[in-house]
Amino acid sequence: MNMNIGLPDLLLVSPMIALFLASLVPITIKVLRGNQEQPALATLSQALIGLVAAIALLMVFGGPGQTAFNNSLIFDGVTQWMGIIAMAAAAGSMVLMYENPATKGRQFSELMFLAMNSAVGMLVLVSAVDLLMVFIGLEMMSLSLYLMIAMSHEEKLSKEAAFKYFVLGSVASAIFLYGTSFIFGATGSTNLLGFMENAQRLIVDNRLFLFGTCLVIAGFCFKVSIVPFHAWTPDVYQGAPTPHTSFMATAVKTVSFAAFLRLMATKSLIASPNLLDILQWLAVITMIVGNVAAIVQNNLKRMIAYSSISHSGYIMIGLITTGVSENGAFGAGSVIFYLLSYAMMTLGAFAIANLMERSDSHIVNIDDLAGFAKKRPIMALCLTIFLLSLAGIPPTLGFFGKFYLFSAAIGEGLLWLALWGVVNSVISVYYYLRPIVVMYMKEGEADIAQHSLNATMVTAVISAILIMSLGMVSGPLFEAVEKSLF
Amino acid sequence: MLLSTIVFLPVVFALVIALWPRENSLRHLALGFSLIEFILSLKIFQQFDPSSSSLQLVEKHMWIERFGIQYFFGIDGISLWLVILTTFLTPIIILASWNSIDKRVKGFHAALFLLQTAMLGTFLAFDAIFFYVFWELSLIPMYFMVGIWGGTRRIYATVKFFIFTMVGSVLMLIAMIYMMYLTQEALGTMSASLLDFYRLKIPFVGGTLLSLQSLLFFAFALAFAIKVPIFPLHTWLPDAHVEAPTPGSVILAGVMLKMGTYCFLRWIIPLFPEAAEYWAWLFLLLGVIGIVYGALVAMVQPDVKKLVAYSSVSHMGYIIIGLFVFNSYGITGGLYQMLNHGISTGALFILIGMIYERTHSREIARYGGLASVLPIFTIFFFIVTMSSIAVPLTNGFIGEFLILMGVFEKNPWFAAVAVTGVILGAAYMLWMFMRVFFGPKGELVSDEHHPLHDLNAREIGVMIPLVVMIFWMGIFPNQFLDWSKASVDHLVKNRSSYNLTIKASGSHDPQALPEEAAQ
Repeated sequence: MNMNIGLPDLLLVSPMIALFLASLVPITIKVLRGNQEQPALATLSQALIGLVAAIALLMVFGGPGQTAFNNSLIFDGVTQWMGIIAMAAAAGSMVLMYENPATKGRQFSELMFLAMNSAVGMLVLVSAVDLLMVFIGLEMMSLSLYLMIAMSHEEKLSKEAAFKYFVLGSVASAIFLYGTSFIFGATGSTNLLGFMENAQRLIVDNRLFLFGTCLVIAGFCFKVSIVPFHAWTPDVYQGAPTPHTSFMATAVKTVSFAAFLRLMATKSLIASPNLLDILQWLAVITMIVGNVAAIVQNNLKRMIAYSSISHSGYIMIGLITTGVSENGAFGAGSVIFYLLSYAMMTLGAFAIANLMERSDSHIVNIDDLAGFAKKRPIMALCLTIFLLSLAGIPPTLGFFGKFYLFSAAIGEGLLWLALWGVVNSVISVYYYLRPIVVMYMKEGEADIAQHSLNATMVTAVISAILIMSLGMVSGPLFEAVEKSLF
Repeated sequence: MLLSTIVFLPVVFALVIALWPRENSLRHLALGFSLIEFILSLKIFQQFDPSSSSLQLVEKHMWIERFGIQYFFGIDGISLWLVILTTFLTPIIILASWNSIDKRVKGFHAALFLLQTAMLGTFLAFDAIFFYVFWELSLIPMYFMVGIWGGTRRIYATVKFFIFTMVGSVLMLIAMIYMMYLTQEALGTMSASLLDFYRLKIPFVGGTLLSLQSLLFFAFALAFAIKVPIFPLHTWLPDAHVEAPTPGSVILAGVMLKMGTYCFLRWIIPLFPEAAEYWAWLFLLLGVIGIVYGALVAMVQPDVKKLVAYSSVSHMGYIIIGLFVFNSYGITGGLYQMLNHGISTGALFILIGMIYERTHSREIARYGGLASVLPIFTIFFFIVTMSSIAVPLTNGFIGEFLILMGVFEKNPWFAAVAVTGVILGAAYMLWMFMRVFFGPKGELVSDEHHPLHDLNAREIGVMIPLVVMIFWMGIFPNQFLDWSKASVDHLVKNRSSYNLTIKASGSHDPQALPEEAAQ
């Protein structure tokens, strides 16, 4: 194996390098200042500059078929789009961290350092086409995240969340690694590009390979919270500080789906109808469990957590579509587009939840929103837009996301999956309407943070405007996504 | 640009109202805006050619090229009057709710204009997905209207309304996407244009539900049947009507229910001719059941608003049976009845709102002898009641008469049962009228502490246009029907292979260009 590392390789991975170097800035400054926090705004700016630089470098050096380090990293359209979505979502979540009582204040520099390193892991994950690189990306991202949750000022729930997430996440990583070793045993390679041609034959002929694939899929299912691997999600989402939940639900989920998409794009699954059936049922069950469980939640964050599980089910439809189609670009494009809309509306919803939190251990229930529309009409309008978009009501971006997803599925003959999808959309309407009902139609004094959280509000407004306006130009946008893939 | 302006101008109005700084001049502003919109919509008559059955004033631009989804507005004789109905009712609604909407005035009028855009878009859009956007968009303002300004059980009613409608819509969306793939197979490129959908030949096998055309037919029909609503999917309607504020009820009854019946005429009948023919018995049966059931339930209602709500179920049954006999009488009558019901039921809800503002009660038993106290109110109520029970010289008569003629031609038995609905309709309306307006004075009417005042100038101003329309449409129906005749005849004649051409803009040549040539 040729181990030379050339300049082209380094240029391709420059987004990660840049982001990592940027992550060192806030903690170095803190050390130089004698362990004194610099102003939080400065820390935040350094982090955002790092993320913007990463996006820019990704756009400049990435391109179709660009691979680095012996084909273990690829910088094609999927990497670019997913990377941009994840970096933007991470940036939005960091803005929320800047203003949340559980995350701001002391140790903010360390928090930003960890968040940016988690983002480096994300970049590795979106570009990885080697299962070992996927593992490295996953671990880099997750380990930073465990620490981020654990170092929150909130005392009880977040510690529990961090511990749960750590234990279950490690088990999932172990399962993933175990599966990878089986695949290596069967094929002598862990590179997805390497066994792409043989995958269809291997999955039928080689039991080891099939078993390994199943384990790897199980590992992914845990990361993107597909039922029955979802049990950690509500607890961790609820227990973690809101900005971290936002970080997990948007950026982490996007990149995990990116890696999952790479596996599905090998098209090994067409040859194994049983595995395909199982995945389809997992998608259906995920949607149902997520939506039905969300109906009975009173806690706003827990409700969004279950809703995010159901959205994993919708995205799973797109993954299966990608897996069975000859040219996966339509399915993969719909997945990316859906993740784009999902990340934006979920980030927005968490921004509103952030606004509602008064202290570091304050639990926001849906009923607390009563009177919110009177007190903060624009924020209430934003939340309405996010919820309607999550429910998939036109003309929001969420509708177009679902439209492309279901169109792709129907185009591949997966009509029944699309039917399950729309049935679930109806179920979801019921609980998405509830906060709107409470905000606008119930009397009350919404208990919101006294000091105004300007940056959070700006994040919410930007997301809302994008959701409304990108829907109108979704056609060209979707085409741009689709054309840049594979 | 005329149709785009008409559809999207209300959005601009809604934005201006949302940003308007002064609360007290808001109602005048909204009224002015709605009148501008109404006058603008009258400009359609100037440019519309009633002799042509093609699609006119067309505006067509590619919107999402990947799927052949277009920004596509057009108008023909079928949608013409529904557009006018929508713009006509809006100023009346604003004037009627002058005092009754007293909280969040700004939000109310913004929602009203947004709703107007959604409704006009539904009537004018000729691309499936573009249409769907408007169709679903109409839910949101209505949801807020009932939920914020409604009665005590408003939240239950509005969530029920939203979810019922949504259930039907999403299946329709899947059917639409499926049909887009069918156009890809048939025409080579994917298209969501309704005109391309019309050209599809969808395989049909009788005797089973599981043929493609029947399945698509029912996926669409469910969405529209919930909206109409057809028995037994009507249960959201009484709740929504009763809990909605007066303007909400007027829009719901006046225009939103027509979105359902209009779509039966626009989508179901021409798109799935064999399936519609085959399953017509089902819709005739449900329509007739709706007529009789709605009337019987209306008869026993103690709440006058609920009575009118159930009468809507009955009236919408007429429209459905009129459409599903597929002959010229039935469809013309159905179309005319859509307008009649919009005006007369709208007027009834406005009148009920007026008396409710005075007494805060809608219970029939607490009234009585109102005629001697409120003579002007009584006269208006009487005229509208006459229209609702289809007395000759009023608009209702023309519509119901044409429908019954059409149904009789197709199947006398259904016609015979439907006629009992006319009798029952007269019975419950007149009985209600008698109990409210005559007899000994009820507790609310004779209350010394709260003397009732007759209608003021504003309220008379609200009613005059409605009453004028009731008689105008009742005495000179041809002035209205002539505008729709060409389109209806075209639909009836070519039902099994319906196609719609685009009229070349600017030319007065009735020779219409085929779709390809126009592109």
